[in-house]
Amino acid sequence: MFSLERAISYAPPMGFEAPEPDDDAALARRIMASAPARDASAEAEICRRLGPRVRLYGLKHLRNEAAAADLMQDVLVMVLQKLRDGAVRDPEQVVSFVLGTARQMVIDGRRGARRRVQILEAFPVDLTPADEEAPEPLDTKRLGRCLSALPERERTVLVLTFYDDRSADAVAAELGLSAGNVRVIRHRGLERLRGCLEAAGGEA
Amino acid sequence: MTVAACTTPTQDLLAYWLDEVDEATESRLDEHLFACAACSERLRSIVELGAAIRNELLRGDFGFVLPAAFIRRLKESGLRVREYNLEPGGSVNCTVTPDDDLVVAHMRAPLHDVRRLDFLVQDSVAGSMRVNDIAFDPEAGGVTMVPSVAFLRTLEHAHQRVRLVAVDGVEERVIADYTFNHYPS
Repeated sequence: MFSLERAISYAPPMGFEAPEPDDDAALARRIMASAPARDASAEAEICRRLGPRVRLYGLKHLRNEAAAADLMQDVLVMVLQKLRDGAVRDPEQVVSFVLGTARQMVIDGRRGARRRVQILEAFPVDLTPADEEAPEPLDTKRLGRCLSALPERERTVLVLTFYDDRSADAVAAELGLSAGNVRVIRHRGLERLRGCLEAAGGEA
Repeated sequence: MTVAACTTPTQDLLAYWLDEVDEATESRLDEHLFACAACSERLRSIVELGAAIRNELLRGDFGFVLPAAFIRRLKESGLRVREYNLEPGGSVNCTVTPDDDLVVAHMRAPLHDVRRLDFLVQDSVAGSMRVNDIAFDPEAGGVTMVPSVAFLRTLEHAHQRVRLVAVDGVEERVIADYTFNHYPS
């Protein structure tokens, strides 16, 4: 969960400066420079950073958890292999390269199982697990308390929105409201809910 | 090390997620989210919160007021929904069985001239409560209440009266009463 708690957890202890971590481009250069040997820590770090973003992109464009997880794995496999092969022309643009790879994979037939097998066969790397940092799970009791404290109208709009990710236009049509009105209620409800969750987190 | 804050407004991230933006904006945000860990994390947290809200509905710990069209979609997606239909002034004997995912009450009512609608609930177990300003479609001819299934499962015999009240400024007008006689399955 995004919160002050997490931001604070990144802060170095007083009196110590945390070493500046490599940026994405630096990690890409390290992987390329190490080839044909492997720089396992750089590979793990680039997967840790970019894996969740590829997964989020996959969720947005494929609307399916399993397909998004497959996309993440396939993209990372291909990107690592391309980096090891020196086939990424500009390591400074590695993030763009990852996005381009993800885009192309989504376009390619919205991804059939056959293509996936082909990718894994064509790029036989032992993928360092993306090792996505498991997000702190939402406290369902706390969420329940915060949801029950929401005005009924906001609760209805949030449920209609998030049950199957429906746009303001679609929700408005079901409630006889304008899309603009739904956006206002949705935004207010979401902010109220997040505020309640963060406040409750501070109390815990 | 400090973590840069996400400067993209939450409503923009949500609009992107819900496919409300044009292609150019979507593409721009695709790129930004890949480059910006803070915004990517914020969107992920919004998506996670949305999934948790969905799960709360399915768990049945809370009551909701939802449109009938939404209930139809739930049924089409495979949820087992026990439904009761009541006319104004109507009464029904109702229950919940282990096979039910949700129980809903469709309460018919003339709402075309109603601007704000409140619920007054008198429950023989939970006591009295008022739910203000519920979301409803005035042309839908009624509202659909989805009580907490988890709560219903704890009940033996119980009696609940629901009153719909139209509110216009300081004026209130009773639209209809409905009576639910719950018995264990």
